[in-house]
Amino acid sequence: MDELLRMEHISKRFGDFYANKKIDLTVKHGEVHTLLGENGAGKSTLMNILIGLYQPTEGKIFVNGKEEHIDSPAHAVKLGIGMVHQHFMLVEAMTVFENIILGDRNVSGLFIDRDARRREIEELSEKYGLDVELDKLITEISVGAQQRVEILKALYHGAELLVLDEPSAALTDIEVEGLFAIMRKLVSEGKSIIFISHKMREVLHISDRITVLRLGEVIGTVNCAETDGKALASMMIGRELSASQYEKMEAKGECVAELKNVDYNKNSKHNGLNGVSMKVHRGEIVGIAGVDGNGQTQLAQLITGVLAPQSGSVELKGKSVSVYDPSSFIKNGVSHVPEDRNLQGLVGDMSITDNLVLKATTAEKFSRGKGLLLKKRDMARYAGEMVGRYDIRCTSVEQTVRSLSGGNQQKVILAREMESEPDLLVAAHPTRGLDIGATRFVHDKMIEARDKGVGILLISADFDEILEVSDRILVFFEGRIMGEYSGKNPPVEEISLAMTGK
Amino acid sequence: MKKLTKSLGSFVVPVLSIVLALLIGAIIMAVLGANPLVAMQYLAKGAFGNAANIGTTLTKATPLIFCGLCACFAYKCGVFNLGGEGQFIIGSVACYYVAYCSGIGGVPGILLSLLAGAVAGGIWGLIPGVLKITRGQNEMIITIMFNYVATLFMGVVYTNWLRDESVPQTLPVPDSVQLPRVIDGMRFTWAFVIAIVVGIVLYYFLFWTSGGFKLRAVGYNMTASRFNGFPIKRYILTSFIISGAIAGLGGGAELLGTQFRLINGFGAGYGFDGVSMALIGQLHPIATMIVSIFFAALRAGSTTMQAATGVPTSVSDIIQALVIVFSVAGMALVKLPEFEAFRLRYFRKKEKKEATEQ
Repeated sequence: MDELLRMEHISKRFGDFYANKKIDLTVKHGEVHTLLGENGAGKSTLMNILIGLYQPTEGKIFVNGKEEHIDSPAHAVKLGIGMVHQHFMLVEAMTVFENIILGDRNVSGLFIDRDARRREIEELSEKYGLDVELDKLITEISVGAQQRVEILKALYHGAELLVLDEPSAALTDIEVEGLFAIMRKLVSEGKSIIFISHKMREVLHISDRITVLRLGEVIGTVNCAETDGKALASMMIGRELSASQYEKMEAKGECVAELKNVDYNKNSKHNGLNGVSMKVHRGEIVGIAGVDGNGQTQLAQLITGVLAPQSGSVELKGKSVSVYDPSSFIKNGVSHVPEDRNLQGLVGDMSITDNLVLKATTAEKFSRGKGLLLKKRDMARYAGEMVGRYDIRCTSVEQTVRSLSGGNQQKVILAREMESEPDLLVAAHPTRGLDIGATRFVHDKMIEARDKGVGILLISADFDEILEVSDRILVFFEGRIMGEYSGKNPPVEEISLAMTGK
Repeated sequence: MKKLTKSLGSFVVPVLSIVLALLIGAIIMAVLGANPLVAMQYLAKGAFGNAANIGTTLTKATPLIFCGLCACFAYKCGVFNLGGEGQFIIGSVACYYVAYCSGIGGVPGILLSLLAGAVAGGIWGLIPGVLKITRGQNEMIITIMFNYVATLFMGVVYTNWLRDESVPQTLPVPDSVQLPRVIDGMRFTWAFVIAIVVGIVLYYFLFWTSGGFKLRAVGYNMTASRFNGFPIKRYILTSFIISGAIAGLGGGAELLGTQFRLINGFGAGYGFDGVSMALIGQLHPIATMIVSIFFAALRAGSTTMQAATGVPTSVSDIIQALVIVFSVAGMALVKLPEFEAFRLRYFRKKEKKEATEQ
C-alpha cells in the first residue's frame, strides 16, 4: 500500500489564531483514515484546505507523490478528491440522475447523452452497492439515500479519495450499518476514505488508522487495532487538568428545577431528548457536557418553556408546570441566556436601553400605570448603571445592540437576565465567540450569582468551560444522560469517553 | 456618530429624496417649455396659496393619513398589510349602511357610523390575520386578494342593493350625518382632525407605552420576543385588527366628510398610497402624517399649475413617484455594508484630522 495523499506541515492562520499548526497527514490507498478531535480541533479547516476552499498559510500537499497547489474545489475534483459534506449539497428540486451529472465536465455541447451517462452511473452503483433510484426527486428519498447519492456523485466525478464529514450524524442505526458496508466495499476496491466522526464506537469499528487532532495540532496517528477508546479519549482531551480557579460547591439548597422522564422527539438522536431526568438546586452550577447537537438545544428550550415535553414533566420549585410558555417560566423566576444571542436573545434594531428593560416595561420602576406611560428617563439611567456594572463597552446607551461586538451583546443579555433576580439561570453557550477577557467576566458573574443562591444550568460544547465552573457535570449523548460526575476533581477521561457515547 | 446614522436614515433620506424628485420635476418642466420656478410657484400656490386651497390640500391628505397610519402600524409589528384599500372600502360600506339605513342623525349618528366603519375594517384585517397565525398563510397575498373582494362587494352595493335609480351609485348620506367643516370657508372637515388624533394616539402608543414597545420588539425580532415571553400571536393579530380598523375608520370618514356616496372608484389606490406614505415616513406616525400632507399638496396644487403654466398635472404624479423611488433606494443604500464602511472611513479620517489639529 503506497501513499495516495500526503499533507506536510500544513498551517492555517486566521489573524493571530492558528486553526491548523504544522499538520502532517498521510492517507494510503485503500484505507479508512479517521480524523478525531473535539469541536474546534481543526478538522474542518484541514479538510477545507484539502478540497481547495482555503489556501494553507504554510505547507505542501502531495497527491500520488506529486506536489499540488489545490486552488479550487474543481481542482480537487480533478485530482480525484471528493467530499461529502455533513449538510448535503444537493439540488432538491432535481432528480437523483440530474444531481449526479451536475457539473460534469465530460458533458459538453448542447445535448447530454443521457443513456450513456445513465449506464455509467448504474455500473458504479452496482459495483459499490450504492442503491439509488435515479429518477426520483431528491425531496422524495430518505436522508440515507441522499447520502448515497452524494457518494455516487463523488465517484462518478472520479474520486479516489472520499472525505466523509460526520456521515453518520443524520442516519438511523440501520442506515449507519449500510454506510459502513459501502465504506468497506469502497476500500476493498482500492478507494481511500477520510472519515470524520465524534463517535468512538463507530471510529473503532471502521477505521484502519486514526489521527487525533487537538487545538489545531496533530497529537498522533495510531493503528486502530493497537488502541482503544480510553487511550484515544485521553489523546483527544489530553489536557493536564489545570485546577479550576473557582471553588466548587456541594448543593444543599432547594431544588429549583426538575425534569422527570422528559421525552422530546425521542427518535431523533440529534434534536431530541430521550427519558431525561435531572435536577438543578439553588447555589450550584450544573454543567451539561457533550458534543454539540446531542439534545442540548432542546434541553435549554424545555427548561425555559420555549418547547413543551412530549411526555414526562418539568417542575419548577417543586410545582409541576401546566402551561409551557416562556412567559409563565419567566414569572416563575427562570432566566435564559439563549444559544443564539442575535436571533433569540436580543432585538438588534432596538437600543441597549430597550434591550436591558425588555422584560420589565410594565414594572413600576420603568412605567406608570403598568405600562401606560414609559419612564424613559429612568430607563436610560438604569441602562447607564448596567453599562457600568457589566462593563458594556459602547458610546451611548441609545446605540442599537446590533452595532455592539459579540462580547458586549452577551453582556447586555447577561445584565438583563441576572438583574431580574432569577431562581434558575439557563445559560446556553454563554461564552461562544467571546475573547478571554469577556469569557472570564461571564464566568465570574455566574459564580457570583451561584453564591447568591441562584441555580444555574450551564450548557456548553466547550469542555474546558464545563470543567472550569461546574459543581456537577452531566454528560449528554444522543439525547440521553450518559453519566453524572462531581465538578470537584472530575474524572476527565471518563467524561470525555462518555461524550463520545461509550 | 451613531446618532448621525440614525438621522441619516430617518431624516436626511426622505428630505433628500424630495429635493431630488423636485429637481428632476423641474428639469421635466423646463423640457416641456415652462419656467420651472414659476411652475413650482403655482404648484405651491395651488396647495397652500389661500385658505380655500389649504382646505383642499388637507381634505386630500385625510384618506392618505388614514391609510398611511394603517400601513405604519401593521409594519411596526412586522405584518405586511397591503389590504388598506379593502379595509378602507369595507369600512365605508359599513359606515354607509349605518348612516343611510339606521335613521339616527346628528352626532350620535356620525359616531355610530364611523364606529361601524372601524369595526368592519377591523374584521377585514382580522381574517388575513387569523389565516396567518393559524395556517401560516402569507398575509401580503391574502390582503391584496381581499382588496378585490371588498371592491367588488362595494360594486354589488352601489349597482344592485342600494342603487340610486338608474345611476350606478348610491344616494348621498343624509345631511344630518355628514361631517361638518372645522372652519367656515375651508373645505376640510372633522375627518382631518380625527386622522390627526389617531396619528398622535398611535405615536403615543408605539413609543410611550409598554404595549407599543413590545409590539415594536415583535416586529423587529419575533423569535427573541417569543423567548422573552411576549405573546407574539396576540400582538400580530391585534396589529391586523387595529390597522384594519384605522383604514376602516378612514373609509367612513371619507364617506361622511367628502364623498357622501359609494360610487365606482371610491377608495381606489389609497391602500398602496398609504404604504408609500408609511415607508417614506420611516414608519413613524408623525412623519407619515407630514408626508401625507406633502403628497396631498402635490396633488392639490397640480391643477393650479396646469391652468397657469400649461405643465400637465401628470408632472406632479412623476414627482410623487420619484420621491418614492428615491426614498426606497436611499434606505437600501444606507443599509449597504459598503456605505457603512465608506461612512466609517470618512468619519475616522475627519476625527483623526481634528485630533491632529488640536
